[in-house]
Amino acid sequence: MIISSSPLRLYTPATVSRRQRFRFKRLLEGVSLWLTVLLMLFVHPLYAEADEADHVGQLHFVDGQGVWQEPALVLDSDFDIKISGLIADSRLLRSFRNTSDQWREGVFVFPLPEKASVYGLTMKVGERTIEGEVQPKKQARRTYEKAREAGQHAANVEQQRPNLFTARVANIPPGETVSVELKYQQPVQYQAGVFELTLPTTLTPRYMPGTPVRSAPDQWQGGWAVPTTEVPDAGAISPFTVNPGDVSADSHRASISLVIDSGLPLESVSSPSHRLTTSQDGQTFRVRPDGGEILMDRDFVVRWRPVSGVEPSAAVFHQSWLGEDYLMAMLMPGEEGTMALPRDLIFVIDTSGSMAGESIRQARSALKAGLETLTPADRFNVIQFNSQTYSLFVQPEVATGNNLARARQYVDRLQADGGTEMAPALSLALNGPTETDDGARVRQVIFITDGAVGNEAALFQQIRQQLGNKRLFTVGIGSAPNRHFMREAARWGRGSYTAIQSPADVDGPLQALFSAMESPVLTDIRVNWPGQEAGIESFPRRPGDLFQGEPLMFVARGVTATGELKVSGRLPGGKDWSWTLDLQQAASATGLHRHWAREKIDTLEDEAKVTGREPDKAGITELAVNHGLMSAYTSFVAVESTPVRSVDTPMASDNLPTLLPAGSQAGMLRYPQTATSAPLLIALGLVGLMFSLALVLLQRRTFS
Amino acid sequence: MRRLLLLLFSSSATLLVFGLWIPLKAAIAQELLELAWAESQARQTESRPWPWADTWPVARLAIPELNDSMIVLADTHGESLAFGPGRLAGGGRGGAVIIAGHRDTHFRGLKALEAGNEVRLQGRDGRWQEYRVEGIRVVDSRAELIDTQRLPDGTLLLVTCYPFDSVDAGGPLRYVVTASAKGKQWEKIDTVAGI
Repeated sequence: MIISSSPLRLYTPATVSRRQRFRFKRLLEGVSLWLTVLLMLFVHPLYAEADEADHVGQLHFVDGQGVWQEPALVLDSDFDIKISGLIADSRLLRSFRNTSDQWREGVFVFPLPEKASVYGLTMKVGERTIEGEVQPKKQARRTYEKAREAGQHAANVEQQRPNLFTARVANIPPGETVSVELKYQQPVQYQAGVFELTLPTTLTPRYMPGTPVRSAPDQWQGGWAVPTTEVPDAGAISPFTVNPGDVSADSHRASISLVIDSGLPLESVSSPSHRLTTSQDGQTFRVRPDGGEILMDRDFVVRWRPVSGVEPSAAVFHQSWLGEDYLMAMLMPGEEGTMALPRDLIFVIDTSGSMAGESIRQARSALKAGLETLTPADRFNVIQFNSQTYSLFVQPEVATGNNLARARQYVDRLQADGGTEMAPALSLALNGPTETDDGARVRQVIFITDGAVGNEAALFQQIRQQLGNKRLFTVGIGSAPNRHFMREAARWGRGSYTAIQSPADVDGPLQALFSAMESPVLTDIRVNWPGQEAGIESFPRRPGDLFQGEPLMFVARGVTATGELKVSGRLPGGKDWSWTLDLQQAASATGLHRHWAREKIDTLEDEAKVTGREPDKAGITELAVNHGLMSAYTSFVAVESTPVRSVDTPMASDNLPTLLPAGSQAGMLRYPQTATSAPLLIALGLVGLMFSLALVLLQRRTFS
Repeated sequence: MRRLLLLLFSSSATLLVFGLWIPLKAAIAQELLELAWAESQARQTESRPWPWADTWPVARLAIPELNDSMIVLADTHGESLAFGPGRLAGGGRGGAVIIAGHRDTHFRGLKALEAGNEVRLQGRDGRWQEYRVEGIRVVDSRAELIDTQRLPDGTLLLVTCYPFDSVDAGGPLRYVVTASAKGKQWEKIDTVAGI
């Protein structure tokens, strides 16, 4: 009303007809203005909703202005795996497609199988392929950075943890794709008559114990976590985790093709994680996930089972490489009668925030299944840990019906929240009073966790020191557990490792674990290779104890395929056991030398841990370079010789996120957008009003 | 000239109306939320303040220092922050509670809070939990995330934008008030031994 009346008073009288016409025009103007205002009022809520819905309280990337940005790079992965015998050979093609109109560098932190030996890197730009080479880690990084600054196509892949790697790809032209092909191999798991292969596609965000060390901004590595006193490389192993909806619709998809040529008639090929399409050609199976590409939000697991009755009990493979002989042997001791000793069974369950969602439900049902196996002769306790450690009983209690009922109730109420402080929980479980009244009691710890921690090495050290005569068994939970932690913790704990893939998959693996835990099948294992001992390097040097259903695996250098391999050990009752294997039966295979080198590198690193000294860095580097392997001290780098980007064209760096594992809940929250445009609107409105008022007054003065 | 003036005048007035509409909406919504809160306390269910709302009241936040109390909504998605502060996390047993609100409306008063002040939070069961303000921090949201796993049990975080008198709605700085639960020890009740 102010608007329409005040200007009307302004004009000076003239002829009546003109005044009327003028007044009519003014009226029309007024009406249309008000209509505009009304229209804007209608449109505003829609606009505001669309605007706010996008960046309020969700986990998002922000640019310099705090505005959400979808990563400009679209990631595509293609696994091509061939399994022959006990080795799976994989080609993993990662394509970084630049959807922006700016040059980009892509940085992607990704997992690989925990026993993977990476032996090749090829960069593909359009039609050209550039072979990568192994270099000492620091040198490779310098080569890459120099090429990046010079505007050349370059790629670099580094190992952060045995199962966690970083790929960097520099100078991806706008609108184009640069691909990086990794070649790696891994041994196939064989347990209780079933072969298994796992492909991790994402990682569970890891907890970093210790107090944060504030780093300079230039050291910011694109991860969410800041370095802590216990995990100095926290930034490098903590990529942002996002929901699948936060990346573009065709990003973070993987196509997988698997050829299983095991040399055995197979009964079935199945997967607890995905639906499969299988086609058979003689003894060769071709496997693909149903429906083509899979979302990279959970591990891809394939299991195959030989036809019952022909499960292999032994296998030998041979390879000569650069004039040297490599031999890999697998032995499956028969299932002997077990001897059940009364036990102290300690269940340790991870109730940290990373277990929230589906994982804690799986963990609870695993724990309850464990409680079912107790007999009245056993004693047990339940320990849960997150930021703190709590235990059900002060001391292990006898498994009476009453105590078990209490335990079940306790387990039902477990909620996942807080940090992952594993060390105190391990201490409580391993250090607890070890008085064994008659010495005939065995103390076993079942550790149920997703292993989402950044300080693995320190924990292995702790397990080694506190273990004593106990045994530690790990049960991996969730869509993407840290399998490296699981396997190594169990190895240092002289136990075994079991993974649960999905809620439907709880029973089978746990049954196998609990029956294996009754007692180890074979202890004190010794291996005798034929010929002189001197030239032979065989791994593992001291095989650990064997549980029911587990095979013995050896890899040796300097052994020809002649003579006999003798293995001896002790059975539960104290009886001796021995086995001879005719090495002339060896089938030829490839990749054994890499497996051997990887085992040797692992052994060297183990020795360093045991003696508390620095690992033999030079030795490991030399071994890795000789066999063309990636290791903690060697990386792959590929550089194209000609620059493609002029140095003055800017290039932005994109840290690609990984997907939140299926069924888990985000532990990291973005600060939400918590301001409105009200002050801006009010200020603008007031300024405008004051300005027009001033103009009105000014006009009035000139007219009067 | 006059037409120009009229246009300037009307557009400024429109802007002003929009600008004033936001705090007005915030105030009116709180009145409606009071009703829904009373209903959800009485029935112990989630009750939506208006039929098409995508959120519902989950708690009442009182700041005796400012003589102020407001209804907290579930989550901060969509437009819910325009109607009331939103609870980003928490609400389960123990754990940390994180509440975010608009700097220009509900959480304007946060700047007056000081360490030692009291903040109270009422759950749907009607019980009040008292918190004591421990400290105030300004963080850069571009470089920091809230690690909910690292927050001690019984922590309350109040988050709003910073600086308070800025006119930039998309600024990266956040004003974080940290408070911790008073009185009751946040021990887990079902525990016999703990270290």
